[in-house]
Amino acid sequence: MATGKIMNNGWADQDHVPGIKSELLELNMGPQHPATHGVLRLLLKTDGEIVYQVTPVLGYLHRCAEKIAEGVNYKQWVVYTDRFDYLAPMCCNHAYVTAVEKLMDVEVPERAEHLRVVTAELSRIASHLIALATFGLDMGAWTPLLYCFREREEILNLLERMAGGRMLYNYMIPGGVRYDVPDDSWVGDVLDFITMLERKKLKDYNDLLSYNKIFIERTADVGVIDEATAKAYACTGPVLRGSGVKFDCRRDDPYSVYHKFDFEIPVGTGEMGTVGDCWDRYMVRVREIEQSCRIIRQALDTLPDGSYQAIPLNKIVKVPAGAAYSRTESAKGEIGHYIISDGGQTAFRNKVRSPSFCNLQVVEKVGVGQMVSDLVALVGSLDIVLGEIDR
Amino acid sequence: MEQNAIYELLAGHLGEGALAWHEDAVEPWAEIAPERIADACLFLRDDERLDFNQLMCLSGIDWDGYDENGKGKSVAILGYTDEGQPETTDRTADGDLGVAYHLYSHAQRHKFTLRVRVAREVAEVPTVSHVWPTAAWHEREAWDLVGIRFAGHPDLRRMLLDEAWEGHPLRKDYVMPAMWEGVPMEGRPLAKNPFPATEPATGDDGPGGPTPPAEA
Repeated sequence: MATGKIMNNGWADQDHVPGIKSELLELNMGPQHPATHGVLRLLLKTDGEIVYQVTPVLGYLHRCAEKIAEGVNYKQWVVYTDRFDYLAPMCCNHAYVTAVEKLMDVEVPERAEHLRVVTAELSRIASHLIALATFGLDMGAWTPLLYCFREREEILNLLERMAGGRMLYNYMIPGGVRYDVPDDSWVGDVLDFITMLERKKLKDYNDLLSYNKIFIERTADVGVIDEATAKAYACTGPVLRGSGVKFDCRRDDPYSVYHKFDFEIPVGTGEMGTVGDCWDRYMVRVREIEQSCRIIRQALDTLPDGSYQAIPLNKIVKVPAGAAYSRTESAKGEIGHYIISDGGQTAFRNKVRSPSFCNLQVVEKVGVGQMVSDLVALVGSLDIVLGEIDR
Repeated sequence: MEQNAIYELLAGHLGEGALAWHEDAVEPWAEIAPERIADACLFLRDDERLDFNQLMCLSGIDWDGYDENGKGKSVAILGYTDEGQPETTDRTADGDLGVAYHLYSHAQRHKFTLRVRVAREVAEVPTVSHVWPTAAWHEREAWDLVGIRFAGHPDLRRMLLDEAWEGHPLRKDYVMPAMWEGVPMEGRPLAKNPFPATEPATGDDGPGGPTPPAEA
């Protein structure tokens, strides 16, 4: 039987294999491990296959972007937000410019807001595609990865035509967006793409992965995060919704022009097992792709004419003294910026509340008592990105 | 619930512990006496009318050099001299440290902002990690980057930096070390070759690429 006092939840008292002595083994999962989605290190204390304690060790990608924010002006710092969640940079751009605009009290042109919504939702789809792909990979399914990356590539191409960069865009600026629609065919191409995604590709993913028997066996009833835990640990995004909470900043704390669009908020229902298991979180993402397509179609159908920048590109932004916290829904959850301005050209303090940081903390609780292979499923289903955890 | 009404309930509970209410700010906020913050948070979470079940964000702040006219000059960013040593300044930071708490209620759908402020020498605030478990990591991060200790925190280690790191980078008087575990950390990379070649450069591609030219 295991000994020692470090164990949680009274597991130490359980003689789960009578008569067989065992001892705790310290195991490093990461920082270089294919299932940790970046340079995440999990210190595990295991007894055989059972995990007694999980201690995430962070900071391998730390760049102290918050310190850099105190040295560069507001527009220059948009670049650094790209590098937080590099799988959905448009969402991070959007979160930051929303916070700056809240302090500046600037009227953003409707066209810019629509373009922001379209690009952010495209980014969200790209990020969710990666989430499905890598989660499938963690569970041993190689093929869906290739399918998902194929569609993601088309999104990257569309956004590259729009913003110039393939992955990191630096597209939004306080008061608008950097570029208008690039050419006459762009809007049509986006609509073609989402139509194809909705009609055919989502069905492919469901056939390949979602309703695959092996995949369901590996994910249903595994890593269950109940509603109370999800709320106490301030989980947001698909992790919170996977636990059955119908909450989405786009609907419940509207920003930009999301109030104009009609879309559903998918939540976990325990279809394959328990509410809040890995399969639920996975499926919430698949269904969100569908809703993002709906939003994009509405935003492009009603794309207004006119200016797309309230502040000229070459003008340095000054923000009135004050402090404001603003939150938006990124692909991973609620991304918040707390900006304190002293009236100058640079932020006095810029604190970033990143969704992955808060979502990851829950493994300290939920990971205990799981099998090591189920911990892989749990971490994969949280869909973390280390760029925004370490910042 | 309206922001003012929330503050009145809170002030009624805390009495003297509620120091000030700034309702005209872009985002109204309440200043709380640091020693009462855990009490205030418990009240805000448990009172049925308020029901703040989510801590959205907890931020540590170094208020040194803050001036609402934008003329404040903190000692935040320092350069490096030609010798690669950090620049120094005569000014010493003496401003307060602070913590901001942003709360949200899923049931009531309202938000609230609390702030506390402590003297730089004290730099200690009671923890709220027993109120919202999510605060544990935020507080570790605030300790790591801003250097605010949270009394009663179960596991107050550094979050992002190495345990042996010196100083707290988001302090306004932070000076980056010139050297870390044998690696020069000059602020201007490639301005100066930190690994001068021991042999004359030949231009051949070694395992690490072309040898950088010797210093001028």
